[in-house]
Amino acid sequence: MSRFRRAVLWAALALIMLLTILSIYGAFLGAERAKAFFNSLPLAVYWLALTALFIVGLVVFRRLIRVPGLLFIHGGCVLVLAGSMWASRAGHALQVRLFGIDKIPSGRMAIFEGQRENRVLVENGRMTFTLHFYIKLKDFRIEYYQPSYLRIQTPQGRTWTIPAETGKEISLGGDIGTLKIVRLFESFKIKIEDGTRMAFDDPNAPPNPALQVEITSPDGDATSRYVFERFPGHAHGEDELLLRYRRVIRDYVSELQVIKDGDIVAEKNIEVNHPLHFGGYHFYQHSYDAEAGQYTILMVVSDTGLNLVYAGYLILCGGVFWHFWARPIITAASTKSE
Amino acid sequence: MIYAAMATYLLAFSATVLHRAKLGRAFYLVGFFIAIFAFGYRWHHVRHVPLQNLFEVFLCLGIIWYPVSRLCFRSLHIRGQHADMLLAAVVLFPAGFVFSAEPQRLPPALQSWLFVPHVAVYALAYIFMAKATFQAISQLVGSTPSPNENMLPPEQATYRMICVGFPLLTLGLILGSCWGKLAWGDYWGWDPKELWSLASWLVYVGYFHFRYMFGKKYPRANGAWAIAGMMVILITLFWVNLSKLFAGLHSYAT
Repeated sequence: MSRFRRAVLWAALALIMLLTILSIYGAFLGAERAKAFFNSLPLAVYWLALTALFIVGLVVFRRLIRVPGLLFIHGGCVLVLAGSMWASRAGHALQVRLFGIDKIPSGRMAIFEGQRENRVLVENGRMTFTLHFYIKLKDFRIEYYQPSYLRIQTPQGRTWTIPAETGKEISLGGDIGTLKIVRLFESFKIKIEDGTRMAFDDPNAPPNPALQVEITSPDGDATSRYVFERFPGHAHGEDELLLRYRRVIRDYVSELQVIKDGDIVAEKNIEVNHPLHFGGYHFYQHSYDAEAGQYTILMVVSDTGLNLVYAGYLILCGGVFWHFWARPIITAASTKSE
Repeated sequence: MIYAAMATYLLAFSATVLHRAKLGRAFYLVGFFIAIFAFGYRWHHVRHVPLQNLFEVFLCLGIIWYPVSRLCFRSLHIRGQHADMLLAAVVLFPAGFVFSAEPQRLPPALQSWLFVPHVAVYALAYIFMAKATFQAISQLVGSTPSPNENMLPPEQATYRMICVGFPLLTLGLILGSCWGKLAWGDYWGWDPKELWSLASWLVYVGYFHFRYMFGKKYPRANGAWAIAGMMVILITLFWVNLSKLFAGLHSYAT
């Protein structure tokens, strides 16, 4: 093997080991710092060197081109690296300079229900970018698994979990008594009527999920308590039971409309795993108004370079399965038939 | 049921060690069916494919070990089936004694068609890499098959196992990336789990390149690469999921 080819192989092994070590180092940094680290200038040089080495390797080692599996594996990696670099912040800046394509890599939008918005906050809110279309939030809602649950715990550590359904009753043992769920509230409020405090469900109020439970002691004395989802672990009363009302979120749904030049050009209910794709961006369900559910926060991500990355994934995957699975099976089968 | 499957696998191992191979294989098969039943029961109980947390993943590993073991022995000429019986019991141990079996509802991020393929492919890949590690250790301790066994020598068996497992490792990584794009907007978020998964993939990439360059000259070093890869996989599977040091988006697995 020539000296140059040997040097290329050594460089490949060195870069692979270096990336392995850097990956492990990055894992200890945490996601945010690792992102900044791997997008820093020294690592940008590394990525360019790695991409260049792939290309040099393909040129120097003819086998990498002659053997389809190896070509796909290495070519796929080149496409993934190229797509990632093109999608980076530096890649977007280059696109503005070279082609005048004015796009941001990513940002966030907060939209109130019934309102429309076209401004995207970028750089952690330090700048705004204006889209050439509007996103309107028709409705935002959180869907919960049914039933929700009430968790009951004694100071001694005994626990019970029951579905939070009206009428559900459980025996807590001869020394404590029984607990019964009397009523469920979506938006618990208290009003005073004829000098008496009364709990009621206010549909116009912000969500305040609660349960009314009745604890009956072995003596037959019944006490009423309220358990609030938003105030977990609140203990009171002589029974000293710790009650926790828990609803498990099934989904977050933002009903969106895309408005361009005054017309609704697209509509979609976006959820986690189901983003909206429009105008060169993906819009993801990112966060929401935890207090009153009145607004949603969308993550806006440019689709630049994505097709290149996906093509690279497909080719890389095809290459490894062909080279390591299909080719040996076909070779073995043809040897056997001979 | 998990305890029954473990006990049956251990009986299979004991019978095989005591030269009662047929009985050992029968126990192995019975243990497999018990594990399948346990998995099916769990699936029915949680109402989604049970691959959400470490308890369920290790339960899944305890099932797929048997068919992988049989495939490797019959078709790929990889020996070590008796060790597989013991390892199948070992992977069920965390499910039976360590991890919480409390059922959990699927959070929104896990409600994706990519959830099952991503986890299942990784589980399968890990088993092949574990078998490769066993062969690598056999090589380093100098164990070789007898001529009439018609089995691959350990170094070649290690290579063959890694060749089978590496595409699955690649596919698992890519599926995870695609899922991340759908769920969080980024096909690579530099999450600790992602970086450790990349590191484990890269170790095997390095294995192939090293073996191509120096494999014949330093065959024992090939085995060391394979063992290093398995160590990174174990860190990815355990330390990243369980340690507070690596808080990230993959915390569902605990």
